[in-house]
Amino acid sequence: MHKELDQNVAGVEREELEASGSLGVRAVLGASWAVFVKDLRTELRTRYAINVLVLFAACAAVAVSLGVGFIGLRRTDEALLIQATLLWIALLFAALNGLSRGFVQEEETRTMAALRLAAPPLAVYLGKFLLNVLLLAVLEAITSLLFIVLVRVQVGSPLALIGTLAAGGLSLATATTILAAIIARASFKSALFAVLAFPLIVPPLIVAIQSTAAALGSGGLPQAVPALQFLGAYSVATFVASLLLFRFVWEA
Amino acid sequence: MVQRLARLGKLLIGLWLAGVAIAMFLVVPQYEGLGNAGRIVIMHVPTAWVAVVAFTVSAIFSARYLWRRRPQDDDYALAAAESGFLFTTLATVTGMIFSQVVWGVYWNWDPRQTSIFVLLLIYAALFALRAAIDEPQRRRQLSAVYSLFAFVTMPFLVFVAPRIADSTLHPNCAFIQGSQCDGLTLEVGKIGLLGDRKVQLLALERNGDVVTAQVKVSEPGLTAERVLSPSFDLVHEEMVARPEFPGLRYQLGLEAVDLEANSALLNIEAPGTGLLENRRTLFTFLAAIIGFTALFFWMLSVRATLLGVQWALAQRAGGRL
Repeated sequence: MHKELDQNVAGVEREELEASGSLGVRAVLGASWAVFVKDLRTELRTRYAINVLVLFAACAAVAVSLGVGFIGLRRTDEALLIQATLLWIALLFAALNGLSRGFVQEEETRTMAALRLAAPPLAVYLGKFLLNVLLLAVLEAITSLLFIVLVRVQVGSPLALIGTLAAGGLSLATATTILAAIIARASFKSALFAVLAFPLIVPPLIVAIQSTAAALGSGGLPQAVPALQFLGAYSVATFVASLLLFRFVWEA
Repeated sequence: MVQRLARLGKLLIGLWLAGVAIAMFLVVPQYEGLGNAGRIVIMHVPTAWVAVVAFTVSAIFSARYLWRRRPQDDDYALAAAESGFLFTTLATVTGMIFSQVVWGVYWNWDPRQTSIFVLLLIYAALFALRAAIDEPQRRRQLSAVYSLFAFVTMPFLVFVAPRIADSTLHPNCAFIQGSQCDGLTLEVGKIGLLGDRKVQLLALERNGDVVTAQVKVSEPGLTAERVLSPSFDLVHEEMVARPEFPGLRYQLGLEAVDLEANSALLNIEAPGTGLLENRRTLFTFLAAIIGFTALFFWMLSVRATLLGVQWALAQRAGGRL
C-alpha cells in the first residue's frame, strides 16, 4: 500500500517535472481538460454554482427593473452610465458569490488530497479556470438578456458590448480563480472571497463600465478598442501571475 | 556595538523628525491664501511616499519568503504591511484635511485618492486573510501569494485611475519640474469633466485681445448650475479672469484658446501651486521625506524583530505542552 502510494507520488513528481518542460505541455493540457470535465460533471449534478450565479443576477435585474425600468427614462449619457454600472454590479456580485465554488467544493468534500495526487498543480488551475470562464459566459449572456428585456436597455453597438463583456469576464476569471484557491484553505470563505477580490478588480471594473456605457450609446467597435486592449493586458498579467503563484497556493 | 549604533540611530531619527516638525512652522514661509493649515503638506507628501515604499517592501519580502521559506522574511513582509497601513491612513487623513481647507472638498475621486483608497482596501484584505488562517505556515504562504498578486494589479490601477476624473487637484506642476497639468480641451458646445464638476463650453467671445469663455459649471448630482466667464489675453498669452468654482476655493482657468477650431483649454487652478519654487520649502520637504523613510525602516526592523520573538516564544510554549 505504502509502496503504491510512493510510486503514485513519484509519478506525480515526474509529471510535474515534465510539465515544466515543453514535452509535458500536451500532458498538462490533457490533465487540465480532465479536471475541467470532472468539475463540469459535478457542477451539472448539483448545479450549485450556476443556480447561485443566475438567481443572483436575475434578482438584481428584477430589482433594478422595478426601480429604473419605467418607460419615461430619458436616454442621456448619465442614464447609459448608470445602466452600465448596474449591469456590472449585478455581474460582479453574482461572480463573487459563485466563482469560489470550484475550490471550496473540493475542500468541503475533502477531495483536495485526491486531486493533488491525480493532477499536476498547473492542470488543476487551468481546469478550474476554464470552468469559471464557462460559468461567467453563461452568467453574462443571461444577465445582459435580462437587462435588455426588463430594464429596457437599448444596445447601440452589440459587437462592442459583446467584446466588452467577454474581455471583462475574462479579467474577472483570471483575477478571482487563484483567490478562490486561497480562500478555500481559510475560514469565513465566502465573505473573505469578496474582500480579497474587490480591490484587485477595481481597475478592470472601471474600464468595463465605461466601455459598456459607450457600447450602449452610439460608440462603435473602434471606440471600444482601447478598453479591450486594457482588459486583455490585465487578463494576461493576472493569468501569468496566477500560473507562477498557483504552485505555492496548492502546496500550502 | 550594533545595539549602541541602533540606539544612536533611533535618537537621530527622533531628533531629525523633531527638527522637521519645527522647520515646518518656522522655516517654511506661509503660502498666500492658505494660512497655517497649508503646512500639513510637509507631513502629507512624505507619508504618501512611505505608503508606496512600504507596499513595495512588503511584496519584495513576500517573494523572498516564497523563495527561501524563512519565517523571518514573512515577519518583515507583515511588519512592512502594518507600518504601510499606518502611513497610508496618515497620508489619507492629512490629504483630506488639506483638501477641505484649500479646495473645500474632503474627497473627489482624484486619481491619487482612488489609488490610495484601493491600497487601503488591499491592506485590509491582507489582514483579514491572515486572521482567517490558523496554521502559521499556511498563513505565511497564502498571504505572501496574495501580497504578490495584489502587487501585480497595482500598475493597472495607476493607469486607469485618471480615467475616473479628468482633472486632478494635486498640484503636479509644482512638484515635478517640467511636468504639465493637462486640463481639458473643449470645442464650443461640448461637455467635459473637471474634478467632479461637469463643465460645458457655451461660447467664446473675442473682445480686442481678450477672449472670454462662457462655461456652464454643474455641481455633482446636477443640483445647481452656474455660468462662469474665465478669460485669456491673446497677446500676452496669459489668463486674465480666473473665477472661483461656486462654493469651492479653486478657480477655473482658461489656459489656451484656438479660435479657428473654436475650442479652448480649461483647467483647474488651485491655490498653492508653485510651492516648491521656494528653496527653503524644498529642503524642508526633502528632510521630511528622508526622516519619514528612516522612521519606516526603523519601525520595520523593530516590528519584525518583535514578531520573531513572539514566534519563538509561541514555539517554546508549544514545545513544553
